[in-house]
Amino acid sequence: MLEVAWTLRCLMLHTAFCVPYLGRGDIEKAPPQFMDYTWHFQIVWEYRAVFVRGAIMTAQITFWATLIGLTLGLALGLMRRSQIVLLRAPAATFIELFRSTPVLVQLVWIYYSLPILTGLQMSNTVSVTIGLGLHAAAYFGEIFRAGVNSIAKGQWDAARAIGMTYTQAMRRIILPQAVRRMIPPFINEFASLIKLTTLGSAVAVNELLHESNNLINNTYRPLEIYTALAVAFAVLIYPIIYASQRLERRWQLRQ
Amino acid sequence: MTPAMIKARNVQKYFGQLHVLKGIDLDIVKGEVLAIIGPSGSGKSTFLRCMNFLEEYDHGEIWLGDELVGYRKSANGKLAKDGAARIAAIRTRMGMVFQSFNLFPHMSVLENVIEGPTIVQRRKREEAIEQAKALLDRVGLSAKIDAYPETLSGGQQQRAAIARALAMNPEVMLFDEPTSALDPELVGEVLDVIKSLTADGMTMVVVTHEMSFARDVADRVMMMDDGIRVEIDAPEKIFTNPSHARTAEFLQRVLR
Ligand SMILES: Nc1ncnc2c1ncn2[C@@H]1O[C@H](COP(=O)(O)OP(=O)(O)O)[C@@H](O)[C@H]1O
Ligand SMILES: [Mg+2]
Repeated sequence: MLEVAWTLRCLMLHTAFCVPYLGRGDIEKAPPQFMDYTWHFQIVWEYRAVFVRGAIMTAQITFWATLIGLTLGLALGLMRRSQIVLLRAPAATFIELFRSTPVLVQLVWIYYSLPILTGLQMSNTVSVTIGLGLHAAAYFGEIFRAGVNSIAKGQWDAARAIGMTYTQAMRRIILPQAVRRMIPPFINEFASLIKLTTLGSAVAVNELLHESNNLINNTYRPLEIYTALAVAFAVLIYPIIYASQRLERRWQLRQ
Repeated sequence: MTPAMIKARNVQKYFGQLHVLKGIDLDIVKGEVLAIIGPSGSGKSTFLRCMNFLEEYDHGEIWLGDELVGYRKSANGKLAKDGAARIAAIRTRMGMVFQSFNLFPHMSVLENVIEGPTIVQRRKREEAIEQAKALLDRVGLSAKIDAYPETLSGGQQQRAAIARALAMNPEVMLFDEPTSALDPELVGEVLDVIKSLTADGMTMVVVTHEMSFARDVADRVMMMDDGIRVEIDAPEKIFTNPSHARTAEFLQRVLR
């Protein structure tokens, strides 16, 4: 339940940063009617199609960003462990750059700069997906590296002593053990990636938050709609966190 | 004289500034059992690990039969590091057993044993399983074939590790303090298995602190100290009348 509360808090924070419609003035005007506020949750039901549309967009962005993140992250993690400086240094630079700057800054930077630098026009959705994918790659890369490094050196010794090459040892001995340790942090990262899709609203991507804001503009029902939005995210994310905790506990028992 | 199976010439190794092996010479003939003794930190493990190139030696040569371990001689006589595939291939000819067993924890005992034969040597799975079962029977682990390493005692784990090394049909077995991590009551079962290998004429190098084992089983004993081969001789000579004061001192300390 703590995670749910945390998710909600994150959402409110994102909301506070990303919602220009809720200017200070509106909040100051709110109190008189606040006490005897009548909730109209049927509005959420009426516009459920909008939420579904937003949720699908959120899921799509998350899916592709995860795919980019895993593929690139695996490569980055391997490169960063390499003994060859020409592989190690760029990977380290990339990872630390993405870990030490705000995601929102990364997303708007990619949205505005990448088309100019590459000459490729891309939609705001594609741009945000790539941005989150690169961001995820940095974190997945570190999870991968930490997982591989956590395997005892004796396992490498034993694998090499029976004549395994680096690739064979990695694939047969090291990764199968490391993946178990990587799954809990990976799921954490995945859950936070879902939440980060809300930053797409900053460049008008029609994910859940942006759809909600549009809806509020039409209905003037921010409380109901943001409540529904929070519930939607909790419903998306909590099962993942729950599954991860279960998995972790089961593996702890088996060890 | 029989040609040496393993030949070490002036082997030297540095860890950074630390000169760990200061020029070791050694000839081991086929079927010989060599015990390496000496104080902790004298370079015994490092020398053993140089033999199958788990450590890269910096100077000198190690030969397995007529193959140079880890390096290639170029036309001008200089040594260049060998390719990864050839280094891996030469390792399959030597079995190694570690102090900490290093079984693969995500695999059953049987899977541990057939991993090398099937993945590295690409032998048929059925044939590998058959051989593994025979080997596990031999080390007394028939009942534990499907067990995972974490459920085994230290002695059982080490015997499984010996079976894993033997499954590659190695020409030489290298043991690095195979009983040092074991509870005293489990030492005997592992030493018995190692002893039984001498019956097949297996060539073995055993780094050990078990002096009675060295005395009873080894053909020769090599005493190392401070990266140097202090002396190498028949066990009777080493244990009753060593040529060097350092050996006598060491034996006095450990046999007390
Ligand atoms: N990977 C390593 N890096 C740095 N120093 C090492 C490493 N392995 C061993 N040494 C050092 O080399 C010396 C010899 O070690 P080792 O061969 O393990 O001795 P022994 O097996 O005889 O106890 C010791 O001083 C040890 O600290
Ligand atoms: Mg040692």
